[in-house]
Amino acid sequence: MTDWLPSLVSGAKHLGLNYGFVLNPFERTAWLSGIGVTLELVALALAASLLAGVGMAVLLTSNRPWLQHPVRVLIELTRNTPVLVQLYCAFFVVNMLLNRVLDGAQHNPLTAFAWVIIVLSIHYGAFHAEALRAGIESVPAGMRESAASLGFSRRQLLWHVELPLAIRFALPSLINNLINLVKTTALGSAIAVGEVTYTSLMIWTQHDNVLELMLFIFLVYGLLTLLVARLGRRLEHRLRMPGYGH
Amino acid sequence: MATVNEAVAGAVLALAMVAAHADATLDKIRSRGSVSVGVVLGGAPYGDVDGHSGQPQGFNVDLARSVAQHLGVKLDLVVVTPANRVQFLQTGKVDLLLANMQWTQDRAEILSFVPTQYDESGGAAMVRKGSGIKRWEDLRGKPVCLSQGSNFAKPLLEKYGAQLKALPSMPEALLALKGGACVASVHISSGIHRLLETEADWKDYESPIASDLIPSPGVIWVRRGEKDTVSALDRIVKQWHGSGWLIQTARKEHLTVPPVIYALHDKFATTAR
Repeated sequence: MTDWLPSLVSGAKHLGLNYGFVLNPFERTAWLSGIGVTLELVALALAASLLAGVGMAVLLTSNRPWLQHPVRVLIELTRNTPVLVQLYCAFFVVNMLLNRVLDGAQHNPLTAFAWVIIVLSIHYGAFHAEALRAGIESVPAGMRESAASLGFSRRQLLWHVELPLAIRFALPSLINNLINLVKTTALGSAIAVGEVTYTSLMIWTQHDNVLELMLFIFLVYGLLTLLVARLGRRLEHRLRMPGYGH
Repeated sequence: MATVNEAVAGAVLALAMVAAHADATLDKIRSRGSVSVGVVLGGAPYGDVDGHSGQPQGFNVDLARSVAQHLGVKLDLVVVTPANRVQFLQTGKVDLLLANMQWTQDRAEILSFVPTQYDESGGAAMVRKGSGIKRWEDLRGKPVCLSQGSNFAKPLLEKYGAQLKALPSMPEALLALKGGACVASVHISSGIHRLLETEADWKDYESPIASDLIPSPGVIWVRRGEKDTVSALDRIVKQWHGSGWLIQTARKEHLTVPPVIYALHDKFATTAR
C-alpha cells in the first residue's frame, strides 16, 4: 500500500482510535472482502426479492383461489416472523433435513450465503407483493374495461396495463423495502457469512476496537442505503406519468 | 467529522471515568450489597440453563455463587457471550467475568486478571467419525466452526491455516457442524468431551486429535488496574484450591480436573487452614 495509510492510522491513534488492522494486509483483505460479500448479497437478494414479489403479487390477484390461498399463507408466515428466526430455521433445520434427503452434506449445494439470499428474497418478496397488490388493485376499473374491450387477454392486461401502473404506484414502498433489505443483510453474520458485519466482528473480537469498526460499518451501510434511495428517487422521476398518481 | 469527534470525546470521557473509579469496584460491590458477575451459558458443563427450572447452572455459575458468598453480598448473574463479554466488563455492566475466558497476552494488555488460575483448558475438535482428521495440521484450508470471540481463532487461522466459520456461540457452531457447514467444530475440550460421553446425539462424532489446542489457564477477569478487587478475588480462589472445594465442584459438574489444579490444591492446602 501507499505511504498515506500508515500516517492516517497513526493520526487516528492520536485521537484514541485503533485502526491498526488496516495496516495488517491479511485483516485488511478480509475486511475489504467483507464489503464485497455485502455488495453481492445486496445485489442478488435485491433482484431475487423483486422477482419473488412480482410473482407472488400476480398469483395474489389472479382470482384463482387455489393459487391465491397458498401464496397468502406464505406471505403471512414470512411477514409475521422475525428474519433472524427464519434464517436460523432455514440454515439449521431445513438445511439439515435437506442433507438427510440428499444423503450427506457434500451433495447439498446450498451454502450459508445461498440461504441468506433465499430467506431475504422470500421475506422481502412478501412485502413487495403486498405493495404491488395494492398497486394492481388501484388500477381504475374503467381502464381495465377499456383494455378488455380492446380484446386484451388476462395476461396482456396484466403485463401491459396493470403491472406498469402498479409498479409506479408501489415504487416508494418497494424502495423502502429494499432499504430494509440492505440493512438486514447484516444478519448473515449470525450464520458465519463473511459479509462486512461478520468480518468486523472477527476483527474486533481479536483487537477490541469495537468503536472504530462500528464507525466503519455505519458508513458502509449508510452509503449503500443512500445509493438505493437515490436510485429509487431517480427511477420514480423517470417513470412519472403526469396525471396518474404522483 | 463532528460525529467522529463527538464519538471520540465520548469514548475518552468514558475511559477517564473508568480510570477515576479504577479501584472503586470493590467498594461499590460492598456498598451496593451485590456483585454482578458475567457468565457464559454456552453449554454444559461450564454453563447452561436447567431444562426444568429455567435457572442457570454449571461450573461458571457455581463459581459465581461462591464469589458472592465469600464477599458476603448478593449475586447478580449477567449472561454474556464470548463476542460481547469484554464490552460488558469495560462498560461496567459487570464487575467481573467468569466466562470461559482463558489467559492470553492480548487480553492481559487491556484487562486485569486474578493471578491464581481456577481452570486450565485448551481446544478440542469435534469431527464426524471417519473424516480422516487426526492432527491439527489436517484442518488446513478446511472450513472449521467455532464461537465468535473464541481465543482458538488465532492459532487455527495463523498456525493451521483453517478457514474459519464463527457462529454466535457453541451450540450454533455444533449445529453448523452437524449441518455440514464445516468439517470440525473447535471448543473448550472439557465441553466437547462431556458431550461425547453423555449425549447420544453425538455418537457419530469423535474428538480424534490427541493434543489440546493452546492449553491456557482459566482466570477471572476484571477491569484494568483494579488491584483491590484482584487481591480480594485472589484470596477467594486460593481458598477454593486449599479447601478442596474447587476439585469437588469440578467433579460434581463432570469436568476433567487438569493436573495443574491438583498441584494448586497441594500448594494451598496448608495455607488455607
